[in-house]
Amino acid sequence: MTDSETTLDPVLISVMANRLDGIVREMTNTLLRSARSAVISSARDFSCCLVTGDDKLLAAAEGLPVHIFGCHIQTENMRKYHEGDIQRGDAYLDNDPYGGNTHPADHTFMVPVFFEGEHMFTAVSKCHMADIGNSIPSSYFVRAKDVYEEGALVFPGVRIQRDFKNIEDIMRMCRARIRVPDQWYGDYLAGLGSARIAERRLEAFCEKYGKETVKAFMKEWFNYSERRMIDNIRRLPKANLVNKGRSDPLEGVLPDGLELTVKIDIDPDEAHIHVDLSDNPPSVDAGMNTSLGAATSAVVGAVFNARDKDLPRNEGAFRRLSFTYAEDSVVGAPKFPHSCSVATTNVAERLVNITQSAFAQLGDGMGLSEGGAGLGAGMAVISGHDERRGGEAYVNRLMLSTNGGPASPEADGWVNYAIPVIAGLMYRDSVEVDELKHPIRVESLSLVTDSAGAGRRRGAPAQQIEYGPTDGAMTSIISCDGQHAAPRGAVGGHAGTAGETWLIEDGTQPSRLPNVAQVHLQPGQRIRGRDSSGGGYGDPLDREPERVLLDVLEGWETREKALDIYGVAFSGEIDDETLAIDAAATEARRSEIRETRAP
Amino acid sequence: MSYRISVDTGGTFTDMVVLDPEGQFHVGKALTTPDRISEGMFSALEVAAGAVGREPRDLLAETEILIYGTTRATNAIVTKQTARTAFLTTTGFRDILVFKEGGKHGPHDYSYDYPQPYIPRRHTFEIDERIGSAGEIVTPLDEAKAREVLETLKARGFEAVAVSLLWSIANSAHEEMLGRLIEEILPGVPYTLSHRLAPILREYRRASATAIDASLKPLMQAHLTQMRTDLQEGGFAGDLLISTSVGGCQEVESLVERPINTLKSGPAMAPVAARAYSAVENMGGDAIVCDTGGTTFDVGLVRDGQLVYSRDSWLGPQWLGDIIGASTVDVRSIGAGGGSIAWVDAGGLLRVGPQSAGSQPGPACYGRDGDQPTVTDAALVLGYIDPDYFNGGRIALDPAAATRVIGELAATLDKSVDDTAYAIMVIANELMIKAIGEITVNDGLNPRESVIVAGGGAAGFNIMPIARELGCDTVILPRTAAALSACGMQYSSIVFEATRSRFTDSNGFDRDGVNKALDEIEAELMTFRDGLAVAANSEISIEFFAEARYRAQVWELDTALPTTRMNSDEDVAALIEVFHQTHDRVYAVRDEDSPVECVNWKGRISIRPFDPPDAPDKADSHYSPDAATTRNCFFGDAAPVNTPIYRGETLNVGADISGPAIIEEPTTTIVVYPGMSATLSAAGDYILDCR
Repeated sequence: MTDSETTLDPVLISVMANRLDGIVREMTNTLLRSARSAVISSARDFSCCLVTGDDKLLAAAEGLPVHIFGCHIQTENMRKYHEGDIQRGDAYLDNDPYGGNTHPADHTFMVPVFFEGEHMFTAVSKCHMADIGNSIPSSYFVRAKDVYEEGALVFPGVRIQRDFKNIEDIMRMCRARIRVPDQWYGDYLAGLGSARIAERRLEAFCEKYGKETVKAFMKEWFNYSERRMIDNIRRLPKANLVNKGRSDPLEGVLPDGLELTVKIDIDPDEAHIHVDLSDNPPSVDAGMNTSLGAATSAVVGAVFNARDKDLPRNEGAFRRLSFTYAEDSVVGAPKFPHSCSVATTNVAERLVNITQSAFAQLGDGMGLSEGGAGLGAGMAVISGHDERRGGEAYVNRLMLSTNGGPASPEADGWVNYAIPVIAGLMYRDSVEVDELKHPIRVESLSLVTDSAGAGRRRGAPAQQIEYGPTDGAMTSIISCDGQHAAPRGAVGGHAGTAGETWLIEDGTQPSRLPNVAQVHLQPGQRIRGRDSSGGGYGDPLDREPERVLLDVLEGWETREKALDIYGVAFSGEIDDETLAIDAAATEARRSEIRETRAP
Repeated sequence: MSYRISVDTGGTFTDMVVLDPEGQFHVGKALTTPDRISEGMFSALEVAAGAVGREPRDLLAETEILIYGTTRATNAIVTKQTARTAFLTTTGFRDILVFKEGGKHGPHDYSYDYPQPYIPRRHTFEIDERIGSAGEIVTPLDEAKAREVLETLKARGFEAVAVSLLWSIANSAHEEMLGRLIEEILPGVPYTLSHRLAPILREYRRASATAIDASLKPLMQAHLTQMRTDLQEGGFAGDLLISTSVGGCQEVESLVERPINTLKSGPAMAPVAARAYSAVENMGGDAIVCDTGGTTFDVGLVRDGQLVYSRDSWLGPQWLGDIIGASTVDVRSIGAGGGSIAWVDAGGLLRVGPQSAGSQPGPACYGRDGDQPTVTDAALVLGYIDPDYFNGGRIALDPAAATRVIGELAATLDKSVDDTAYAIMVIANELMIKAIGEITVNDGLNPRESVIVAGGGAAGFNIMPIARELGCDTVILPRTAAALSACGMQYSSIVFEATRSRFTDSNGFDRDGVNKALDEIEAELMTFRDGLAVAANSEISIEFFAEARYRAQVWELDTALPTTRMNSDEDVAALIEVFHQTHDRVYAVRDEDSPVECVNWKGRISIRPFDPPDAPDKADSHYSPDAATTRNCFFGDAAPVNTPIYRGETLNVGADISGPAIIEEPTTTIVVYPGMSATLSAAGDYILDCR
């Protein structure tokens, strides 16, 4: 009955879009709740999406922003590698950063979904695995000089199931090389199970609506999403934005870190945004190179941060975005065999910050400040042997403390932010759960007073953690990119504070560790990590005194900082809760600060 | 001659259900009076007593049992009227209540502030002490410093104290010691110790439960005591029971000790009602209960005749609010109801909600300056509501206003007014379908094999098409649908839970440790029973559960224990098998090779203080009633259909009504869509056939 010109009833489009969104949510819930490693079940380092049979991203629900772009390249490769031999019951594994994937730690499970013999969708679950067989016990290897030193097992669109049964060769390969293989296998079941659930639901979806209506829907849904994006871009001023930032140094490899540049060309007339990433350094001999998928996702995510919060994230919206990359670059264009081990964090975190704060150049009310960055000690990968369980090996990423989020024009920074590419979606570990699962004791974990980037809207403060092994040695691998260049403020907001890591041993002075560190802790030794805080947005002198009062009462900021930076003076005391704003003194102090500023 | 009364005081309305000696329900509804709850209750009593044909005072005097459900605690939290509460925790961890558990809605949404902790940081005090994960004392409690802290609390006039120390579940000595010091230094100040209230793993959940509970103690103690006095002055001499968040009820004394258990007690009773109705109508043990109000749509479940519980229940939004921590009947709420606003987004698609016109200004047709089109306006335009008989004729509606606001939307969409109104219903249905889908799927329940029990004033507008979309053949819509939770209380039991944390796994299962935990749980349950005045000789049942998971998973599943103790390897194997089956049902995966870890242990005692209402005799005389009138209604076809309208109070048992039709009950309206049908059962429920 239909041809490509048929237009569907808009109500039906809403209904069908809602059903697909429900399917992605079900995938997400399944994966989250049934996964084994904390990196998935707590840190939520995974995402689920649906791609059309012809490789267009269709629905992504609330997946991790850094996973948003690239799945369509992976499904395209899957179809290319297995042309003529893809059938119902198959499943494929891909983690090739040179084939659209983010980084090798992200095992991507792809299930092609057929209806009436036609490949209609591919259901995709992308999961960060706790271990992927790297040469060090961490799936983040900052110092890997190339893929060989990195050591990850790489699966370029490899078939892992046929007729709904595992291809045991692949399982044996993984079990032979991946640490704590049962944990990997549990996460494999969770990831694959999530894609298989989508398959069942999508088959029923096609059954209900019929193939032609489903196809017409996809077309209309992309057009709708594109219209939303057009509307969003049309509301921006025409501008060429250039913003630069810097990654942390890497001892012995990159003494000055990397200067990173994002150029954004906004054309409201054409309703188009072009992002030029070509002005960036060539690939580096470290794991910091960002894959095409990771770099583009970081930038796309930041563009979405700056626009309507409910914009559909799919191919239709992407039609209004374009990108250029250099021939050989640490940003989006690594040259083989350079390693992309930490492609989703370090440089990608900086790209998110640079891009979202670039929009703030358009004026107050636009963009965001920079968020706290870097996987510090509270997000380290720990490993060792648990004497309580007969010396059983363990390896896991912690999510005990996090960086502070950026301030926006409307709101203060989000406390549980993690890093710019996770953007607050993760769960925190429970101290008790971590102490039960691993031979670790957390000594303290709290917010750091006065650490936040001041502004009309304040960044979220830093957090500080101290922990060590209870018995036996423990390795803590920290791949932090947030200890030198502190997150910057926007539109007059102040910068946040950078992170720090310390080694503590009773009876000796704490010693500062580099931002990227592999620490072997003996019982009695501890690690102290302070995360970075978010930058502020807008002039701190414009912050409502009531907000400053609450910050001081609650110990987020001190009375001294309130007076020095926010220009808010108080009478009374905190302890007996008589603290009150002294309006006259506040006005005087604010004028005084304004006058001392250079014209 | 004796009556049984149940009362559900909501934010807006107080619903009362009176069970008369013949087994008939009578409903009374009145506005809630937040300042003195008993006033609204007595107003509702007047209405109900009128329906029974008795004087209110006489009726109350002849009432044996009164079950009271209240949102008092919830409202106190929302309006910040709880006690000035201090939070005591282990040194180094003062931010447990600030950090919560993480999670955020909308990865690109930076428009809202991070939420404040339940108890402010300035009311948080650190106690020098530390216990390790195996219960070992790492740092002994510094009593001198603890005394100083408590003296400070005294000086600063704190009204309640919440104590939650790390690993108090493994060794409660430090919390017990603080309890003794509080009684010494702050005599009469209520306090809650986390290991007694909620001995569960995860410091935030335990701390949050403890903080909420302590903050409610002074207030709920006063409220419940006052309520008992007011009732006694009104002539009531029977037993007063209070409904709780586990879908049961308890005596006033035990709730004063754990007021947190009154939170969400209203919604928790809807599944209890659904279970009873499904049983009365012989519809099996799996039911989905939907309660449609003005601003929210609540969904709960009954599986295999059992209520479904969750530890993941929040005051306020998930992750951003405060977790209740204690186990509650799992009821999920979405922002969709009669007041949800319809709008067109920048891409040209029609959306419904999440904004709501609420009751002020309310839908445009209420004539209170509402100028946004809502679901209720759409129902009026479609002819589903008689503007002169809305809420039994108590609220006069303005059809012209509804047509005007829907007309404006229709112009934007380039559709007819009728089509637009119908589209609003379809989209609203979608939101509800997704909400039902999420809870059923999450719990492995198949809507196709379940019955829907619908309640709430706005349920009848669209429950039939929703059921059809879900593949669910039958809906039970009780005549008393508008007071579903109060009805549920009539079928409830006294329910109490006890928990112990005892970590073990299937590789080296600690049978003795687990049995000791189960012994302690059972002893606590029996102590609870022995303390009851109401139910001395009543029938009891006890169930045990493990909160279990595969090795290294983070989230547990409630697993019913197949035996009451773990006395042999076979008992352990049976438990592990139940876990595999549960995991398979919920996540479609069984991992036979993985060790299974058990984290918490739970016992639940149910005591029947009274018998549920008798099921009616089965009626077999079906008939086709005459319509009271007809009206043009629109069902998405090209033209409106002249639709028969039935008045509920004129219908007798066995009435068969084929769609299209509208059945108007005083407090609810049922739209029977074309091709579907309804029958009035002997029990007074509308059985809707949605095939």
